[in-house]
Amino acid sequence: MSKTALRQATREALANTSVCSALERFSDNYVVAREQAYRQKDFEGLRREVARIKREAAECMEELADQFTREATRRGATVFRAATAQDAREYIARLARSRGIKTIVKSKSMASEEIHLNDYLKEQGLDVVETDLGEWIIQLARQRPSHMVMPAIHMSRNEVAEIFSREIKEPVEPEISSMVKLARRELRKKFFSSWMGISGANIAVAETGTIVMVTNEGNGRLTTTLPPVHVIIVGLEKLVPRFTDIAPILEVLPRSATAQHITTYVTMITGAVPAVDPDGNYHEQKELHIILMDNGRTSMAADPVFKEALQCVRCAACLNVCPIYQQVGGLFGDIYTGVIGTLLTAFLTDPKRAQVIQYLCIDCGRCRDYCSGNIDLPALIGELRRRTVEREGMGYVEKVIFEKVLVNRRLFHRLLKTASRLQKPFAREGKIRHLPLFLSGLTEGRTLPAIADIPFRDRVGTLPRPDKATGRVAIFSGCLIDFVYPCIGESVAKVLAALGFEMVHPEQQTCCGYPAKQAGLTNIFAELARQNVAAFAGIDAGHILTACPTCAEALKFLYPQLLAGDPVWGKRARELAERVTDFSSFVHAHREKLTPLLVPLQQKVTYHDSCHLKRYLRVAAEPRQLLKDAGADLVEMNRSDDCCGFGGSYTIKFPELSKSILNRKLESALDTGAEVVALDCPGCRMQIGGGLDHRNPRVQVMHTAEILARCLPGTGRA
Amino acid sequence: MALNRAVLPDANRNLEQLYEEFVTRARALGTEVYRVPNLAKASELVGKLVQEMGVRKVALAESPLVTALDLAAAVAGAGAEVTGGNPRERAGAADLGISSFEMAIAETGTLVQDATEINRRLVSMLPPAHLALVSTNRLVGTLQEAINNLAARGQIPGYLAFVSGPSRTADIERVLTIGVHGPGKVVVIFIDEGGSAGE
Repeated sequence: MSKTALRQATREALANTSVCSALERFSDNYVVAREQAYRQKDFEGLRREVARIKREAAECMEELADQFTREATRRGATVFRAATAQDAREYIARLARSRGIKTIVKSKSMASEEIHLNDYLKEQGLDVVETDLGEWIIQLARQRPSHMVMPAIHMSRNEVAEIFSREIKEPVEPEISSMVKLARRELRKKFFSSWMGISGANIAVAETGTIVMVTNEGNGRLTTTLPPVHVIIVGLEKLVPRFTDIAPILEVLPRSATAQHITTYVTMITGAVPAVDPDGNYHEQKELHIILMDNGRTSMAADPVFKEALQCVRCAACLNVCPIYQQVGGLFGDIYTGVIGTLLTAFLTDPKRAQVIQYLCIDCGRCRDYCSGNIDLPALIGELRRRTVEREGMGYVEKVIFEKVLVNRRLFHRLLKTASRLQKPFAREGKIRHLPLFLSGLTEGRTLPAIADIPFRDRVGTLPRPDKATGRVAIFSGCLIDFVYPCIGESVAKVLAALGFEMVHPEQQTCCGYPAKQAGLTNIFAELARQNVAAFAGIDAGHILTACPTCAEALKFLYPQLLAGDPVWGKRARELAERVTDFSSFVHAHREKLTPLLVPLQQKVTYHDSCHLKRYLRVAAEPRQLLKDAGADLVEMNRSDDCCGFGGSYTIKFPELSKSILNRKLESALDTGAEVVALDCPGCRMQIGGGLDHRNPRVQVMHTAEILARCLPGTGRA
Repeated sequence: MALNRAVLPDANRNLEQLYEEFVTRARALGTEVYRVPNLAKASELVGKLVQEMGVRKVALAESPLVTALDLAAAVAGAGAEVTGGNPRERAGAADLGISSFEMAIAETGTLVQDATEINRRLVSMLPPAHLALVSTNRLVGTLQEAINNLAARGQIPGYLAFVSGPSRTADIERVLTIGVHGPGKVVVIFIDEGGSAGE
């Protein structure tokens, strides 16, 4: 799949509105129900414990596999180590042939999906029936699961009725409970006549040779009980050292997957147990075959960065909260879907596909907060992107922009000034509503701001100053404020002056480099980091302030990591990072001094949490408090921390997807009836402002700095 | 290891509190919960429930508790019959299965059964309704206590079943539907004085 094909595929996925709304509805309910399920539980503590267990397990995968093999064998199981998907498939087909087995029942197993087991066994002349309701529907429809936990989430009851009707050759009413009864009846026949059952596993305990399965329907219990031959396919990443390690995993898995305290059934199988075959004969020990499958997992464990992904317990929380997955569903992935699915695709199923679909991640960071295995998922996607670009290179134009322009501040800024002149025919009142030709998609349903006539850096001399300075603050403006929204910068200056701070704007500062990071160009990001570190090194100011959360994240958290390997630059980056604060947090710390100066706003305001402010800088209460201090009537919108769909260059790469996410945001914001949408990020301001301009131009979008500045005397209030 | 708390339930955690917690959680999942003081009352209640449910055929999974309750008589007294044949037939033909469980977990409303024996597995899975018997003193507070308890026993049983309410699915349009592959009705009777049969 090429990048162009991917963009086309996102359009097609977006056209399927029933899937989008089903996923959105599910996600909205999930977030609330999950919160309930974790009440009285320490999620952070639990996931750290899970991460510790799984990390330890990944480090000694081979030893655990040996120990598991010994213990399970001692309890009467036959353990087969499958290095590849083909080894696993052949083993099962051979086993069925040698026992004269024709029909097989299966309970849900992602590992079997991973190796396309059903197709293979069918080619071998075997009749395989999926017994999980969702999987059965998918199998009958000849489709692929679109979600790891809820495979048929994309289908409506009417579609299911049609599929069932085709299967039993009778009309079926689209009534859910009767269709569930139909499934019970039909699948019971299969359970009673099958000689082999195939299941997956959620946990494999090395110490005892135990396999743990979580299910809700009970098909897992029937699959592992009725047929006299039972095959379990388990990936090596499911191994844990001790029996007691089951507890924390079982605490998080159902809560994070489906917001249940526990699944209806938890089954723990240790060795071969008795069975009665379809002929009624009693077997003291059934045949239990456990396939320990590698298929790329040891190479993942050996990777210094991606081994972290083995901490995953497959709860699919990262899908459940992903704004992109909600829009495009199964397109974001392969067999395994969503963010974790993309990482698994890179190692287990289709590395080429992973290189392309990773571009779908918008880097909102939401999955990171929900991950049961405490995996830094966005960082791993970043690494996948970096390696992709390193291997595949990038387009000529992009390459020139990053390697020649962005690293050369004078050239970059000169070009922006030229662009400001060139856009004149399209810009009116600082906005661009329509762009010609291939750029037209960017302005469909969204207005773009024009590049400012005079950038912020050239306005610094004319900005308000305090009557009597009590401190000095350096400003890192960032490209968007510098060249698109100098008004935000001016507002920052006004608020600082009111607080008695003198403001300096080091001229040598340049782009924070985040776009280069996003493009997978770590070396360019590092070059820009060094330029900025140098630009601020000699500046005598206690604090470095930025009104852009992404810039703040780069300066405060990413530079020290990025330059850590360099003793000189690493130290300088850490020194810089210590001084960096976002605008709202800084002002919040001085609010006693500011509040008395504010003329109450008396407007209804709703606040949008920008991804990078809330989830990386952990700032959410401060701007809200400042808005209240300013006399705003603050009303919360639903899902205030849902991404707005901007994501930097994302809006250019996937304009339709970006707009679709934006629309949801606009609805939440407009539903509040607020006159002003407040936020702390110039990127979100551009996205939400552009959308509001089309949907309801009477609603304003403003940075918290602009609102505070407006409430300070000396400027006309709208 | 930091996670390993006391293996036995905290003596301070009152059994009554555990029972109340179990009832709240289990009922939220759709489980019916009863409690009786002794074996005689338990048999009586089983007979009454069999009658109320209107079941005709009952499958029993033998265990010391099931034997001590003389359930065959209780079932017959309620006008139902105990199924016969091989284990598949016995459980497959029944409207109700009755078996005993070894542990109950308060925080999740879960019943734990050593289901290594084939009858227990079939009787608790195949019929559309299940009646579970458990001694009240086998209540533990948390899932973690239950796991630690099992780990401390030495050999892990061949097949352990944790059951929390009726079989459910939400695979069609996320609509919760009860009774897909397993029992759609789960009833549990806690017995306070189960004697040695309850251990």
